[in-house]
Amino acid sequence: MSFKTLDPEDFLVSADSVTATAWSTNSPTLSTFFTSSTTSTNDSYYKNVYQTGSDLAGAAVQFAIAYGNEQGSGSALFNDLVAGKSPTRTVYGQYRNLVYGDENASFIFGGITASDFWAVSVERARYKEHLLKGTFNITLTNGSDTIKLTDNSGTVSTDTFLDCGRVYQIVSGSNGTPYTGVNANGYSEASGSYGLFLPDVGVMLFNPLALSASINLEPNRSNDSDGSNIQSMFNAIDSGNAFQLNSEETVTSDFVYIRTRNAEFNYSENPSFISGSTGDVLYTQFINSPQSYITTVGMYNDNNELVAVAKLSKPLTKDFTKEALIRVKLDF
Amino acid sequence: MGYLNNTAVTVDAILTKKGRELLARGDGSFRITQFALSDDEIDYTLYNPTHPSGSAFYGEAIENMPLLEAFPDETQIMKYKLVTLPRGTARMPVLDIGYSAIRIKQGASLAITPQTLNYLSQTSVNESSGYTFTISDVRLFNTFNGIGITTPEAQAANQTTTIGTNVSKTIIGTTLNLTATTVNTLFGGNTNLTATLQVVGRDSGARIQIPVTVTKTT
Repeated sequence: MSFKTLDPEDFLVSADSVTATAWSTNSPTLSTFFTSSTTSTNDSYYKNVYQTGSDLAGAAVQFAIAYGNEQGSGSALFNDLVAGKSPTRTVYGQYRNLVYGDENASFIFGGITASDFWAVSVERARYKEHLLKGTFNITLTNGSDTIKLTDNSGTVSTDTFLDCGRVYQIVSGSNGTPYTGVNANGYSEASGSYGLFLPDVGVMLFNPLALSASINLEPNRSNDSDGSNIQSMFNAIDSGNAFQLNSEETVTSDFVYIRTRNAEFNYSENPSFISGSTGDVLYTQFINSPQSYITTVGMYNDNNELVAVAKLSKPLTKDFTKEALIRVKLDF
Repeated sequence: MGYLNNTAVTVDAILTKKGRELLARGDGSFRITQFALSDDEIDYTLYNPTHPSGSAFYGEAIENMPLLEAFPDETQIMKYKLVTLPRGTARMPVLDIGYSAIRIKQGASLAITPQTLNYLSQTSVNESSGYTFTISDVRLFNTFNGIGITTPEAQAANQTTTIGTNVSKTIIGTTLNLTATTVNTLFGGNTNLTATLQVVGRDSGARIQIPVTVTKTT
């Protein structure tokens, strides 16, 4: 007999949370930022940001920056005959649908309703399943003004949910904890929070009212002309030199326990185990005290089809005096 | 007094090419229900029962050898299975299929009925659970069926269809019926197509692998 049926208790399903740095540099903090100089029809909607020159080997999109405005301000109209319809209005509607799932909703940042926002959308491959709350730290610099922002997940006892999943306020502070030296919540109640941190969709929305009040970073809300607002947010991130973020994903593993009793698997069909074509075992000692070596575990379905295989790092001795327990891990 | 290491050995598994195909099919055929062990890479001539240092050192040359990583090709791994046989077994079961290599013309048919030698105290026996036949590239045959075993898993194996790529196919039976392909495009500019046929006794674990060649006729 060479096959042994597995029992239900030989299987264990385990789900483990795996966290990692979000950036391609494998460093928790991204400190260099590049955009592509190649123009694209999407430039009026968003700009991709790379960790290195976009034409260099290994360059990968880390995140994208977009600007949305309820009135369509800050970008040229699609058609001069149709007021208010521009790329910034499209972006506004796109994120409103994503975040609130309600075309009549307004963006509210810490109790203040805003008519525009900057969106930083992390590349899907970077954040894997979702962003790890409490790891978001970004420094924004505009001229001589600098602010360090984080999410307020460290002080939230019960998560708040919108249509896009969990939502946290972006506040002044670090590592999920607000800086309370100036304001109790980490932001001014007059201008609202610095934005929303949406870990389940890999998006951060920044509130221009709050950024304007703290570092004078204000979007150009001119009508029917490009306000270069994406560039101004990129400049603030680039000058800040520090964007920290971790990803989180749940890896589901199947563990299969391979149990061999002392009387099992002690002989081998290995051609070097026998001598000649008659099938005689190689050594007379093997007749009563056979010794075999496990190097490979094969897992089969009912049809005897080999569906998964595992190799040991070194041979495992098996004879009539030994039993073996091998735990095989299958990741999905 | 020292502590014995009682932790289980943990190894990471990979899916074989066949496993990926079954997983992609999503019909429940990727369901692990049994296992087998093998000693691929082990050369038992390195075992030294006359080692001057004693029996604890007989396997010295084998026990610390580094092993290669697993291959995803299911026909290239788990070749030599460990088997459970009664203590005192002096002769290992050996398969005889009547061929050391198969060369078959396009469209021709062949039936193979393996015999197991040195098993159950008999010189030659047809195993009651049958044999598994695995062809490394199923495209070479229009027919690749097993007969003689009527268990549900054998019938299911004989009824499976593949996705038409160069994947293996495994069937169960006491006799294998095969008919070489009539599809000319498979040959391209070649006159022969080659694959390997692996036969394993389901009771004894005895195994044989032979080359298979299909020759173009038209």
